[in-house]
Amino acid sequence: MIEFVFSVLLLSGIAAGLAMILVISEKVIQNYGPCKITLNKGKKELTVEGGKPLLTTLKEQKIFLPSACGGRGTCGVCKCKVLNGAGPLLPTETPYMDDKERKEGVRLACQVKVRNDMEIEIPAFLFAIQQYQAKLAAVEDLTYDMKRFRFELLGPETMDFVAGQYVQITCPAYKKGVDEVSRAYSIASDPKDTHFVELIVRRVPNGICTTWLFDYLKVGQPVQLTGPYGEFRMSDTQAPMIFIAGGSGMAPFVSILHQMRHVGSTRKADYFFGGNSVRDLCLGQQMAEFEKAIPSFTFHPVVARPHPEDNWTGQTGLVTEAVKRQYSDLSGHEGYLCGSPGMIDASIKVLVGLGMPQDKVYYDKFA
Amino acid sequence: MKQSPQDKNLEGMLRSGRLVAGGFLGTDTRRPEDIIAEDAAVLRRLGYNASQVAARMQDLRDLARPALGTWIQVDEVLQVKSEDYKGVIVCPWPHEGRYEKRITTAQRLDTGQSISWSDLNIHFVRDHGFFEGRGAFFRIEPDELIKVIFNG
Repeated sequence: MIEFVFSVLLLSGIAAGLAMILVISEKVIQNYGPCKITLNKGKKELTVEGGKPLLTTLKEQKIFLPSACGGRGTCGVCKCKVLNGAGPLLPTETPYMDDKERKEGVRLACQVKVRNDMEIEIPAFLFAIQQYQAKLAAVEDLTYDMKRFRFELLGPETMDFVAGQYVQITCPAYKKGVDEVSRAYSIASDPKDTHFVELIVRRVPNGICTTWLFDYLKVGQPVQLTGPYGEFRMSDTQAPMIFIAGGSGMAPFVSILHQMRHVGSTRKADYFFGGNSVRDLCLGQQMAEFEKAIPSFTFHPVVARPHPEDNWTGQTGLVTEAVKRQYSDLSGHEGYLCGSPGMIDASIKVLVGLGMPQDKVYYDKFA
Repeated sequence: MKQSPQDKNLEGMLRSGRLVAGGFLGTDTRRPEDIIAEDAAVLRRLGYNASQVAARMQDLRDLARPALGTWIQVDEVLQVKSEDYKGVIVCPWPHEGRYEKRITTAQRLDTGQSISWSDLNIHFVRDHGFFEGRGAFFRIEPDELIKVIFNG
């Protein structure tokens, strides 16, 4: 019996000793010391402590790469070019890369660890991204599954953005089993209203972030935002524009219309908004106000399947069919689309089919 | 039977709310492998297998997609619609796989019965035989699904 107890104790002691050696060696081996990260061919140089993922390291240096999953390698959003110092592409990254990206050294910043000096390239606009502390100032029901959230910026107190850009909102671990994530939403507010940011959000069934926004977040509670991101915006030509978006895809267009109103734009703009039924339509009053303020702007709500009791007298069918009915030649127009991949692909087909050059179709695809 | 470390990790991932609010197992206390085995038995009893079911789910999704979220009639008794939401979701199993957040709903016109599934559900059924745990938001009862999509 004593021999048995002794053997167990001996084995346990050996296991504990080995575990301790592992922990100590991990501390020593993984102490990478200071590493230099050179960004955009010397535009900026950072000296950082090695050992953490590149995404986290850059965030600590106030460089905010967009990311939706909080760095767990499940969204594929935090891409950047790593020219030197990243090591081979990891199996966790390959699903998110096409051949071109692989050749160019594109990596997922959340998967690449800073272990030595690195040279990276990020889009220049990311240097201007800031983190904002904000609070929820107001919530407005737009439809049965869409709300408009108005956030007051507390620090920094203002955000300069271009109509069409988006912010990322950090959704905290609001209940057991839910980790912190970030989600991107187009800004729906007036670019002149720099003290506030408005977002139009459609509830995703069982979605982590929209469940928090719709069911947990209360007026007055703090929120963290980063931004502004993105290059979706109105071109600086005078070509007539066609906007196509349904649901929460209307957010960037609300912002663009604010901008058009401020500059007294006379540029022709037609906005085709598609809904399945009358209950999917929203912001009709605001669109009517834009029509008054911007004489060159027309709003075209289209309902796919109105119910008889809706007494709908407007356009019916798919939004793409409404565009086809209205135009025979779009070779001089520009197209602006925001929404689901299915809607965008269908719209591109119609616009290009009506003569719009492919490179004049600008879109912000939900992803 | 003792669970392998891999199966244990997978169960942890499926139960957590890391990818979807409430996780993929809901309130179901059974192990994933037991859920899969019991659902497979239901399919067998009804004369189907997971591949056939997933293929039909995908066909209906593909039929519905061009209608951009509106109902389209498949035949005299079935209509489908497919709605897109913002974002993508990954499969919790350790392999490549990202799926757009798209929800297809099939409705029987004769009984009014309807059932919804996501693109990830199609992958779950086809590649893992997994219909999610009871109480999970997108749990699909195999017998109800078959009734709706196969007129079974």
